[in-house]
Amino acid sequence: MSQMATMAVSRRFGAEYAVREVAMAVEPGEVVGLLGANGAGKTTLIRLALGLLRPTAGTVTLFGSPPSRDTRRRLGYVPQSLGLYEDLTVAENLAFAARAFGHRVVAARLDPEIRASARVLVRDLSLGLRRRVAFAAALAHDPELLVLDEPTSGVEPLARARLWETVRAGAERGAGVLATTHHMSEASECDRLVVMVSGRVVASGSAAAIMGGMQTVVVTAVRWEDAFAALDDRGLPVALVGRRLRIPDRPAADVDAALRGAEVEARLEVVPATFEEAFVALARQKVA
Amino acid sequence: MLAMALKELRQLARDRRTVAMMIVLPVVLLVVFGYAARFDIDKVPTIVAGPAADEAASNLPSRMDVIATHPEWGRDQAIDALRRAQATVVVIADPQHPAVLVDGANLFGAQSVLRALAANPSLPKAEVLFNPDLATSFVMVPALMGLVLVFIGTIVTSLGVVRERQSGTLEQLAVMPFRPRDVFLGKVLPYFGVAIVDLVIVVVAGLWIFGVPFSGAPWIFAIGALLFLFVALGMGVLISTVSQNQGQAIQLAMMTLLPQILLSGMIFPLDSMAIGVRWIGYLLPLTYFVQIARGVMIRAAPFDALLVPMGMLLLLGVIVFGLSVLRFQRDLAPSGTGSRHRRSEAEASA
Repeated sequence: MSQMATMAVSRRFGAEYAVREVAMAVEPGEVVGLLGANGAGKTTLIRLALGLLRPTAGTVTLFGSPPSRDTRRRLGYVPQSLGLYEDLTVAENLAFAARAFGHRVVAARLDPEIRASARVLVRDLSLGLRRRVAFAAALAHDPELLVLDEPTSGVEPLARARLWETVRAGAERGAGVLATTHHMSEASECDRLVVMVSGRVVASGSAAAIMGGMQTVVVTAVRWEDAFAALDDRGLPVALVGRRLRIPDRPAADVDAALRGAEVEARLEVVPATFEEAFVALARQKVA
Repeated sequence: MLAMALKELRQLARDRRTVAMMIVLPVVLLVVFGYAARFDIDKVPTIVAGPAADEAASNLPSRMDVIATHPEWGRDQAIDALRRAQATVVVIADPQHPAVLVDGANLFGAQSVLRALAANPSLPKAEVLFNPDLATSFVMVPALMGLVLVFIGTIVTSLGVVRERQSGTLEQLAVMPFRPRDVFLGKVLPYFGVAIVDLVIVVVAGLWIFGVPFSGAPWIFAIGALLFLFVALGMGVLISTVSQNQGQAIQLAMMTLLPQILLSGMIFPLDSMAIGVRWIGYLLPLTYFVQIARGVMIRAAPFDALLVPMGMLLLLGVIVFGLSVLRFQRDLAPSGTGSRHRRSEAEASA
């Protein structure tokens, strides 16, 4: 049984669909990354999954049942805003969260840095530590499903890596994890990715499966400005990285023809596309 | 500077509540309070008692509005009627012991009667009961206690709940295994406790500093105060459920506070207000608390004499609390229909 499943779920605000006919599931021990740009519908989907919003169409189940008080006992949630009381200490926040789920805080299970900050007001903590406290609060009752909305937003890389370690540890204990992010670099942390564009799921699977062997043409030219203009004029999705141009998901022959047509001398190289490039290509296909 | 002023004007135009407060409210305040801000009472409710009641009733000054005659009543029944606020004056038309008893707890009514009697020397000298010196503090302090409770109950409570919304913790509460009523009561009870402590402090300070009497039964006062807190806290929660931030909550709370100060009978007597404005006063909880507090503290009114204000507070409490619970549930119950603020949040985050 899935920890969370949606079947053709849609949510409309007025005439606009924030989420449209999304079907997805999170299995026990699985880390599912919900990827999409801002406004793609990730947070709305999470709010539907948590039962904070009623679907306009379709169904949402948590542990096989519609969201209810009983299902809420079994999930942990870290919202984008963290949901911590800034005017309470770390210990007071953790105690409140634990009591809400009928548990007690087990100090031994806490990160030493969190233990050391137990008496510090949350508003006096760094954002990275605040996020870890929010994670600790969400994990204190050993939830079977952990829902994280932009869990690493605004956190520096080292702290981000530690947060993902915590997420992984939760999954290894058997919890399903659903995490939204718009950091493409975090895709590798997930077992499976669900890519959303304009409220719809446009791709789902492992990072490798989503990229599907997509390649990028890398152009090196002395007159890179001319090369850029020539490719752009032909409508090719060109991006400048340093002094090189990258054109993902397009045949090298098309790139070569565009450069020759503009009489720009350049060296072409075909390399595997990055995940960001694959994501942008998927988004373009959807828009087209 | 022009750019700044234009920007400010645009922001202001989009803030409908503030625009309403700046344009509509002054007009409403002027009209409503223009009819309310009067100290003169034209008609003072009067009962005429004693064997010659019927004859005496027709010879009273026009300001004394005879609402009943009771030839069988003596002095004790007359005092009891005043204690129960059935009238402001009782004229005892007894050839042996004529008397005019005046309720001093009704300050402006009593003053009006005394002026009328002074111009009519054929009537016996008035005897002012409950507040013989017609001390303003005796009638103001019990009413101010209500104002303090409104402040704590409505303004502070509304801020406490709206803070959860602003900080995003209300959403976290919604996914915890709380029932909406757990959250509701958990939020409200601490304020209830603090308000009770405040009430005790204010009562003790009122008695000690201003020498206000506490003639009646404390338990009757306590019931009235608890019922009043029930309404005030409910209003606080209701305001918080329709406010997006603390600024809006304060705005709304002040809009409920001002009419209560001016139309509850706390400052201006209800009897002197135009009937339409008086009816607004009848919808305000402070009106009934003022009646209970003055009744118990100054007149030692018995419980059954205060059933109407007690009942009205209970009714208002049930309505306001019911509405606030419903609004609160919309914010907290999973899969509830999206409220306007939740929709806007979702749109912003989608």
